[in-house]
Amino acid sequence: MFGLYLHIPFCEKKCSYCDFYSIESTEHIHAFVRTLVQEIDLRSTSDIATSVFFGGGTPSLLSPADMATIISKLCNSYAIAEDAEWTMECNPGTVTLERLEAYRASGINRLSFGVQSFTASELMFLDRIHNADEADAAMSLARAAGFDNVNMDLMFAVPGQTMETLNYNLLRMLSLEPDHISAYSLIYEHGTPLYARLKKGLITPQNEEVDAEMYALVIATLTAAGYEQYEVSNFARTRKQCRHNLTYWHGDNYLALGPSAHGYIDNTRYWNHRSLSAWTSKVHEGVLPEANREALTPHEQLVELLFLTLRADGVPLAEFQSRFDIDLQSLLQPDLGHWFDAGFVIDNGITLRLTGEGYRVCDEITLKMIERVG
Amino acid sequence: MQHYRNFCIIAHIDHGKSTLADRLLERTGRVSAREMTMNQILDDNPLEQERGITIKLHAIQMDYVSASGENFKLNLIDTPGHVDFSYEVSRSLSACEGALLVVDATQGVEAQTISNLFMALEQGLEIIPVINKIDLPSAVTTIDNVKKQVMDLLGCKEEDMIMASAKTGIGVDEILEAVIARIPAPKGDPKAPLRALIYDSIFDAYRGVVVNVRVFDGTLREKDKVLFMVTGQSYELDEVGVLYMQRKRTGILEAGNVGYFTAAIRKLQDTKVGDTVTLLNNPTDNPIAGFREVKPMVFSGIYPAESDDFEDLREALGKLTLNDSAISFEPESSNALGFGFRCGFLGLLHMEIVQERLEREFNQTIITTVPNVRYKVITTKNEVVWVDNPAQLPKTTMINEILEPYIRAQIIAPSEFVGTIMKLCMDRRGVMTGQTYLSADRVDLTFNMPLGEVVFDFYDKLKSSTRGYASLDYEYSDYEPGELVLMDILLNGEPVDALSSIVHRQKAHEWGKKLCIKLKELIPRQMFEVAIQASIGSKVVARESISAIRKNVLAKCYGGDISRKRKLIEKQKEGKKRMKQVGRVEIPQEAFHAVLSID
Repeated sequence: MFGLYLHIPFCEKKCSYCDFYSIESTEHIHAFVRTLVQEIDLRSTSDIATSVFFGGGTPSLLSPADMATIISKLCNSYAIAEDAEWTMECNPGTVTLERLEAYRASGINRLSFGVQSFTASELMFLDRIHNADEADAAMSLARAAGFDNVNMDLMFAVPGQTMETLNYNLLRMLSLEPDHISAYSLIYEHGTPLYARLKKGLITPQNEEVDAEMYALVIATLTAAGYEQYEVSNFARTRKQCRHNLTYWHGDNYLALGPSAHGYIDNTRYWNHRSLSAWTSKVHEGVLPEANREALTPHEQLVELLFLTLRADGVPLAEFQSRFDIDLQSLLQPDLGHWFDAGFVIDNGITLRLTGEGYRVCDEITLKMIERVG
Repeated sequence: MQHYRNFCIIAHIDHGKSTLADRLLERTGRVSAREMTMNQILDDNPLEQERGITIKLHAIQMDYVSASGENFKLNLIDTPGHVDFSYEVSRSLSACEGALLVVDATQGVEAQTISNLFMALEQGLEIIPVINKIDLPSAVTTIDNVKKQVMDLLGCKEEDMIMASAKTGIGVDEILEAVIARIPAPKGDPKAPLRALIYDSIFDAYRGVVVNVRVFDGTLREKDKVLFMVTGQSYELDEVGVLYMQRKRTGILEAGNVGYFTAAIRKLQDTKVGDTVTLLNNPTDNPIAGFREVKPMVFSGIYPAESDDFEDLREALGKLTLNDSAISFEPESSNALGFGFRCGFLGLLHMEIVQERLEREFNQTIITTVPNVRYKVITTKNEVVWVDNPAQLPKTTMINEILEPYIRAQIIAPSEFVGTIMKLCMDRRGVMTGQTYLSADRVDLTFNMPLGEVVFDFYDKLKSSTRGYASLDYEYSDYEPGELVLMDILLNGEPVDALSSIVHRQKAHEWGKKLCIKLKELIPRQMFEVAIQASIGSKVVARESISAIRKNVLAKCYGGDISRKRKLIEKQKEGKKRMKQVGRVEIPQEAFHAVLSID
């Protein structure tokens, strides 16, 4: 069982905060699709894929025909489960009913819209090319095209944002009834234009206190509206958790294709060249377009599994015992009492799981746990 | 014996002792210019070279043909240049008949020079004053004043002083000739019962302890059975020789000479500096005077950063005592730091050196607590309890009186700093006992001060408040009663024993307040709020709080972020290694030193 990730590295306009690999020129899309199809031939596996995820960049820049080409190649090359989750990231500003229907027809069954905000000044700050009305429209179109599993991204702690505008964004997003919401605190990633502006002192980030208050508002509002928080930044209605993303957070295998994509198979991680041309020429030579790979030591596997599952739906106690011979409950004995008392952690006998309060200080708890396991 | 000369060099740090020694070795052909590429041969421990100080004593024998054509053997005995080692200095001085007093032409006489000089005069050494660094341009304006200081100090004439530059070699020949002419040849009877002074010993992994001695009477031969008069132990000598750049076996060492012997001595503690070596079957009835048991004066807890490393640390300390017999260590435990050792040192510098050697030479990652002195507690039952760890102080109701060690501190500085120095010393409960002007603008101040006030960064404060001009020397005097109280630090209501200190009652409130503020700076924010309290008995005298971390979580972690995040976690984990946990509070190593950085 594995997840399949395809990276589509094109955008009409890059967002200032985004550090995913993409280029603003779209002229190479067709050549890219042909090369991607070739990379599929380089990476064969007999395992069964349970999810496929088109991420980017902006996958919705791919024409329905290109998408159909890729999908049929995938279906011919891999064993993909009948009920697999097929997700595609879309820019709310560039979708039409016709296109969405075509994607749906070729097998896509989940959409993810980068909505981020419904407040014009915040959208402008984030360099988004769509407006709030287009986000509303995108949701209607998605439903009309037959999508019953739609995610919307929301961003908070954006400079200039207030508790009021965040609350407004949340309520407007809830009114669209998405099946899943990813709500991120803005990250100032190294190498992005946003980071450069921060370093030059051109923007004032929200302070920790406000960030924490906003996070608390997000969690309280979404859980009250019936969404379950199953990861630091992810909320889903019943049975609408993103199956693909859970492969990352459960330490499961995932195969990755396209420039800059990271795959993880049988405890080895690889990452493709982060350059369209380098990636293309390697694939054309008939060799794996990997920049590097690392085989994780058992201890590294342990560390990853611990921090990833802690971020998500809980640290699986039995798996730590059977796979690493570690009794987490006894190793963490000195701290667990403090964490239970503070309402950070719940022990349901199967997992150690963070509460909303606990997610707030997730990295602190992670570090303490890692220290304890040595 | 008429052709031996035994001498040492007395100088303040940086006044050029090591450079002069190098020049003498070069001039007498003991070292070639090629070997001189590594400067300052006598200081062969890297720490010594870095700090520009000599920690362990060394000696070197040089062959010298005088201007008159006679052959001499000159034994240059090096002395450590720091107050912590003054006993060792006194023993090496007593192995000599003369001393070169080296004074920097631009700096003048310093406190340490004076105290070592007085020690040398007490021992009856012939002093040859050398004004060094005369080639420095700034010496033109200072040299007359410096000459006058030296003449006043020694009561000598101008022509008795040798003008020199160890760096360029000026005056080196003159110094060598003066050593021959002015320092008396050793006296002693090679036929009399053996009397040899242990002035140093070092540990050699292959031969055990190598004992450095000055033979006063008698003769030392291989196979001799000798008796160490203080320890009462006897040994058969394996190897006897003199000290060149390396040891040179001669098989015999006669009265008047300086050299070494080995005798399958396993522990450095079995040889005590100042002890007299004599023959077992023909002992002297006149042991050399001046022996003293060296006692640690400053104490600190040393703990492994990771509790699993306790045994490693014990082994490292054991090995360290092989070549530093002045360290004492005993296991202790602390609620904050787990199992570790209470270690005793001769002084602050000695403590720093030991801590650094543990880290560098023995790869130990250690946490050290704030240094303290040894208190003498008289209980209500009139018993004496020695306390070298504040956390071990008996309950207040059991204490009749607490006494603390005092020192006699001598400070020499330009007179413009008198006010500053007096204020600093009085803030540290010092009482001035003397004030002498060495010249119109140079003053010699003496204070009676509690040692406990000096172990907290006094020397650094003195240096910084006098722009580096003041020099300090001290000797231990006696125990005196003090109004002392135990101050505990509580984090979230739990006392942290490793942060307890014994302070003067009148200073306790202010001290507690400053300490709480400092701890607030040093303890990072955590998942929970941290309350810091300073208390005396059950009374809280100061409090601060550290607010909890409000949010710390990376918002995104997908396929491409995982490796990076894992590496970051591993790095942060390394960074947290020296944190210790008390209750739910994590305390960084620096916090255990907080007291040292309070203004």
